[in-house]
Amino acid sequence: MTAVAAAPEVPMIEADRASKWFGDVVAVSDVSFRIGPGVTALLGPNGAGKSTLLRMLCGLTPPDRGAVRILGADPRRDISVRAQIGIVPQQEAMFEALTAFEFVRLAALLHGVEDPAGAARWALDLVELDHADHRSTTTYSKGMKQRVKVAQALVNDPAVVVLDEPLTGLDPRQRGHLIELFGRLGQQGRCVIVSSHVLDEVERFGSRVLVVAQGRLAATGDFRAIRDLMDDRPHRIRVRTDRLREVATELISSPGVLAVRLEPAAAGRAGAVIVDTTDAPLFRRSVAAAAQRADATLLEVAPLDDDLDSVFRYLVGR
Amino acid sequence: MTAGYRSPKAPAVRSGPRLGPVFVAEYRLLLRSVCTKGRLIAITMLAGLSVLTAVAIALADPFDPVFRGVGFVNGNIATLIPVAVLVFGAAVLGDLIDDGSLVYLWLRPVPSWIHVLAAWLATVTIVVPLVLVPVVASTLFIDTSGSLLAPAALGGFVAVAAYGGLFVTLGVRFKRALPWGLVYILIWEGFIAAAGKTATKLAVRSYVRSILGSMTDTHLKLGEFSLGVGIVVPLLVAAAALAYASRRLAKTDVA
Repeated sequence: MTAVAAAPEVPMIEADRASKWFGDVVAVSDVSFRIGPGVTALLGPNGAGKSTLLRMLCGLTPPDRGAVRILGADPRRDISVRAQIGIVPQQEAMFEALTAFEFVRLAALLHGVEDPAGAARWALDLVELDHADHRSTTTYSKGMKQRVKVAQALVNDPAVVVLDEPLTGLDPRQRGHLIELFGRLGQQGRCVIVSSHVLDEVERFGSRVLVVAQGRLAATGDFRAIRDLMDDRPHRIRVRTDRLREVATELISSPGVLAVRLEPAAAGRAGAVIVDTTDAPLFRRSVAAAAQRADATLLEVAPLDDDLDSVFRYLVGR
Repeated sequence: MTAGYRSPKAPAVRSGPRLGPVFVAEYRLLLRSVCTKGRLIAITMLAGLSVLTAVAIALADPFDPVFRGVGFVNGNIATLIPVAVLVFGAAVLGDLIDDGSLVYLWLRPVPSWIHVLAAWLATVTIVVPLVLVPVVASTLFIDTSGSLLAPAALGGFVAVAAYGGLFVTLGVRFKRALPWGLVYILIWEGFIAAAGKTATKLAVRSYVRSILGSMTDTHLKLGEFSLGVGIVVPLLVAAAALAYASRRLAKTDVA
């Protein structure tokens, strides 16, 4: 496992060698991590074990081996800690007979919120839903149902918010709104853990990720730092310049450079040299000198593979 | 513990929910959820059929109305009442487990016995007016003196309560609770209970028959217990079943 960044001293969520299997199928294998306040994205392909891991964290299913703790308590045994958890489960089903307001108010009541009706209005406002809507949630679109689920998860102002694919079915504006809302919750000191297999979404949640592949924790920490630790894979960097061949000639002899490739100018954009290097920081320091020697102007120096997509593909594919 | 995490506008949370209002809210929710149109129509039609049967019995043979009335009530306690309780009782929590919406009750600081007791009460609340009241009232067609009202009401209520406990538990325990319940009603209680004394003791029907027999001075097959035993044992069975269901629900895997 690739681990980056120190674990928080007082973890809000902690998994200690947690494993879960269903018959012969190992869903989660020997997973350990500690996370504190802020937004953490749980990333992995479909079937990687994300939902099972989230269910274990909330106490919805027990680990077959190891332990999970939320705010220091076992959520399966200590029901009082459940008052500190808000969950958006993956499944769509809600209580069909209820309106959105009734559904969220019920959640508030069960959590022991002092003014359940007021809290329900507050939570529905957070997700931009009308609390006076008298329709049953069965008439709602998938996106509206997702927002109701988010509202019920936040109605008790929980310390730990667990969100399993919360943006499914939402339009781009609502996605942006909820991503901003989750970010705000993290900044306020809550521990927000969000699962997704959509990398663009995850990148917008923040840089801290837990990458799960085939039930195992493949990496944890800041995904850019994770990329820097992948020493066994060259970094790819694009150098856009006005003198391609000259710069390429200078770069090929630079330390740590494995290969260079020319990308011709096209559609009004200057050409570029694509460089594979084993040492990105050293390359960044040496590229300006190489351009100077070639009497060239540097237009752009940009990494091509330190985005989340690249990190993810590497981690789950290795 | 939460103070550091609360935003200024956020709702205030008590140290724990008040169980009285929580119970009432869950009871109302489960009552509304389980009363689907299909179930209500099906069970109402069966109850209507039972009323027609009472009318037919009254018209066919006016002699010995008490004996025939006891037979009518006994027949309903053996079939209609347990089937109706099964249809609602197995579904009341079973549906939530199947579709995954149980998570919205389970992941709350609420003990599991609240969910189970609310489910049982919701089941009893539906079946009593929908089935038991028509059956008890129909005895008046057969025996106009009204002497069957009390035994039918008491026996019927004990049956609803006991089967309610068993079938709510069945819904928590098994994914396909309906066929398992039918197997219990038709095979176990219908046939195996008559095979020996031990099997008789393990059938709710035997105790309810004892209530009917004791209160009407009639002899019913399998109804060999005293009135007290006939009342207390099924209620204890229901309580034990609900206690097991609470424990099971607390330990269940929630989707």
